[in-house]
Amino acid sequence: MTSLILKTAMRLIVPLTLLFAVYMALKGHNEPGGGFIGGLIASVSIALYRMTYGAESFDKLLPIHPRILVFVGLTMAFLVAVFPLLFDRPLLTSYEQYLNLGFGQTVHFVSAAIFDIGVLLVVIGVSVGMIDRLSREVEK
Amino acid sequence: MSGSINNFIILFCVIPLAAGLLSVPLVGRSFPSRVIGTLSFASTFLLAVYLLIQGYADNTIYVSYMGSWTAPFGISVVFDNLSGLLLATASAVALGSYIHSYSTNASHIERGYFHPLIQLLMFGVNLSFLTGDIFNLFVSFEIMLMASYALLTIGASKKQMSQAYKYVMLNLLASTIFVIAAGMAYGMLGTLNMADMALIVKTKLASGEGLPVGFTALAVMFLLVFALKGAFFPLWFWLPDTYYTCPISIAGLFGGMLTKVGVYAVVRTFPLIFTQSVADIASVDVNPTRTTILWIIAVAAAFTMFLGVLGAVSQHEVRRILSIHVISQVGYMVFGLAIMTGWALAGCIFYMIQHMVVKCSLFLCCGIMEKHAGSDDLDKLGGLLKRDTLLGVLFFVAAMSLVGLPPLSGFFGKMVIIQEGWNNGLWWLSIIGLATGALTLLSMLKIWSYGYWNPEPKKYPQAAKPENVKSSSRSGYIGIAMLVVLALFLGFGANPVYKFADRAGEQLVSPDAYIMAVLPKERIKLVNPELAAKLYDGIGHDRMSEPLDEEPMIISASYNKEVHP
Repeated sequence: MTSLILKTAMRLIVPLTLLFAVYMALKGHNEPGGGFIGGLIASVSIALYRMTYGAESFDKLLPIHPRILVFVGLTMAFLVAVFPLLFDRPLLTSYEQYLNLGFGQTVHFVSAAIFDIGVLLVVIGVSVGMIDRLSREVEK
Repeated sequence: MSGSINNFIILFCVIPLAAGLLSVPLVGRSFPSRVIGTLSFASTFLLAVYLLIQGYADNTIYVSYMGSWTAPFGISVVFDNLSGLLLATASAVALGSYIHSYSTNASHIERGYFHPLIQLLMFGVNLSFLTGDIFNLFVSFEIMLMASYALLTIGASKKQMSQAYKYVMLNLLASTIFVIAAGMAYGMLGTLNMADMALIVKTKLASGEGLPVGFTALAVMFLLVFALKGAFFPLWFWLPDTYYTCPISIAGLFGGMLTKVGVYAVVRTFPLIFTQSVADIASVDVNPTRTTILWIIAVAAAFTMFLGVLGAVSQHEVRRILSIHVISQVGYMVFGLAIMTGWALAGCIFYMIQHMVVKCSLFLCCGIMEKHAGSDDLDKLGGLLKRDTLLGVLFFVAAMSLVGLPPLSGFFGKMVIIQEGWNNGLWWLSIIGLATGALTLLSMLKIWSYGYWNPEPKKYPQAAKPENVKSSSRSGYIGIAMLVVLALFLGFGANPVYKFADRAGEQLVSPDAYIMAVLPKERIKLVNPELAAKLYDGIGHDRMSEPLDEEPMIISASYNKEVHP
């Protein structure tokens, strides 16, 4: 696709969607959202980018194979899940901490967030990898 | 002491998952992946045996609450005797067929993510044996199915694809019904935790309120789903073709294990929840759902046993005979379920265990037979006893265990089930069971006489040299021999194994121990104070003298206390 309108719009759409994906992923701990949804939104934006600019610019945007994202994400989620076992707590037990940011601001940090980021990476890796692979077959 | 063990039962899922993750970057390098895989299966086997013995000695059920969210809200993972026996056997079967696969897998199969997939398959299988939650059971079925879809189509030949398509479609249908049924169960009982469901059903039966409307229909829906996975009559049609096409070590693993997961799901959920016995409730004579479901299961058992073995007798290819045999053997387990006394369930569990081991070793033998003759058609086989005596011995022991010749393992399974059926008014099923046993012998002798006893067929000269086959499949013999030794142990050591199985059967028919192990005391007190008083009476006064909580912490959505003061 070589539409100028689409290309110009993408410059705005891609960063905004990625930002929205991060927002969804982070607010997912207590509200609707989470790593899975965030991953889907992010992969939609990456797939749109690929459709607009073609396979070569996509390779520049994501220089590693999406498979590696899956592996890294799974490993992160796995390690966070297993970690409590070392302290004789059940699998997947979450640790929480209020981090002080200064200026009277605190952030409620939970270790489950790392699990969720792992899920996010897996979802991006799987869906982007599949879309990429299929479109390469079509473009051949 | 058991507190420290409790949280580690999830290792049965963690170890295969870790091994699967580790072998992803090692794809294409077989040696390190094989080491990782073998260690993973061996360690889960040893862990299962250790926990089983420890749990039997202490008479405890190990429970772990995922993420520290207690039952009935979080997902609980439960290790009792039934789980332990099946986990140990599943790991052993996986180990045997995995070692066998060193010598039979083509390199393109190993490159096609064979090692990670088989670990993920075991992750799903182990999780379904452990989980104490219906929805989590669904999830673990899905994990197992995902891996099995990929393993079935590994190598991607045209024949495999068309068979796998059927398998995928049927399982998608079954999964959809499963989710719908789980939703209905949640609507009726307000919970999906198995122990909590059991407790609520028990309370509803004892209070005279009776079961919710449509409870029998719900049970039938669950039965349908599990019967499709377990290949009961009339839902077995997908099975013979599926196991016919994939690589032999995968076929062995699937033939030994996957249908048994469906049977396991029935063994776990039905005596506990849907067909709960009312023997210890004085005010109620009969659980109407139990009567209906047991009839359905009994009829299914008759057809599954008999039609399965007839199908096997009529086939002329080793793989087809073996895979249709799976159905007939499942029939015996279903027979044990139809009786549903503690001792019959023990027989059913024992039969499941021995069948997993024996069936898998027969499939693996078939793999080496194919290497000799280049085909599994009985016409093209022959003279194998002379060509490969070791294989002949292994096959004979495994086949006779399957048939149930007295000192071997199949005998003890069948004997208990048939005898118990006879004593409980299901004499007609016992007769069918005996007839099926005879026909099983016939079909096994068919493979034996065509494949091993007959001279080599002149029309189809066997191209492979016996020495080449033998030297190229050393690990194949090791894998089969391990399983055959285990089968012999199950036969000659049936007594200790039956002790575990008997305890498992008791735990299933009188679920009080299960309920007490999984649910916190407050929950039992809230739902059924009389039962709580009864359960905690014998334990000690300090626990009883604790005051009832003023405001119970744990409230169910649908279980309203005002209705049952």
